[in-house]
Amino acid sequence: MTTIDEKEAISLPQENGLAIINSKAPFSSTHGKDALDIALIFGSFEQNVSLFFQGDGVYQLIAQQDGSLLSVKDYLKTFSAFEFYDIEDIYVCQQSLANRQLGENFHISDVQVLPSIEFGAALNRHQHVLRF
Amino acid sequence: MATLHLVRQSAFATNDFAQCLSVLEHQDSIVLMDDGCYNLKHALMDSLIKRVDGTVNIHVMTSHAKARAIETITTIKHIEMKDVVELTFNHSKVITWQ
Repeated sequence: MTTIDEKEAISLPQENGLAIINSKAPFSSTHGKDALDIALIFGSFEQNVSLFFQGDGVYQLIAQQDGSLLSVKDYLKTFSAFEFYDIEDIYVCQQSLANRQLGENFHISDVQVLPSIEFGAALNRHQHVLRF
Repeated sequence: MATLHLVRQSAFATNDFAQCLSVLEHQDSIVLMDDGCYNLKHALMDSLIKRVDGTVNIHVMTSHAKARAIETITTIKHIEMKDVVELTFNHSKVITWQ
């Protein structure tokens, strides 16, 4: 029995880590800040975290934003700390960018822009998903 | 009996802007504020500008658009909060789309 179980375990696609989906624009709600806090907490406990940006969430990554004009704390600047928390898998939905007439000018580097199918496949590689 | 429409939501995320446009009349005014500024890049905005041909005044909050790194269009008036106050007095009613 044990050998069969092991074989099944090997044949299943490996799912691990936490995926956080960002789907909200940055300044009008606290969703983006909450997602960031969770990501950094998991990062500091050396848990695998991947970030997904979909829908209006892609606005969180666009360069040259300035929250100080709105008198809000600009948490987007903290995104540059991801590498220190070993958060290296950052995926952006290509279709969401195209719909919003946005280019790939992000304020952080090492962002992977993926077409819908690959974006979904990347998400499905994770065992746990939180959506903000 | 002109109406001032305050659009505060992204048309990419909600249906609010489409609903606003469905009740829009000539001589009305639109102000894009907060996430409504994202609508500058929405297909609904392109068709609106063509459809109304200057009979509807379209404004955008300069600071809100700039904070979001949104390129604004020259055919749209750039305003600040004090101008919104003035607009509320110049229109008989206000609808906030949020």
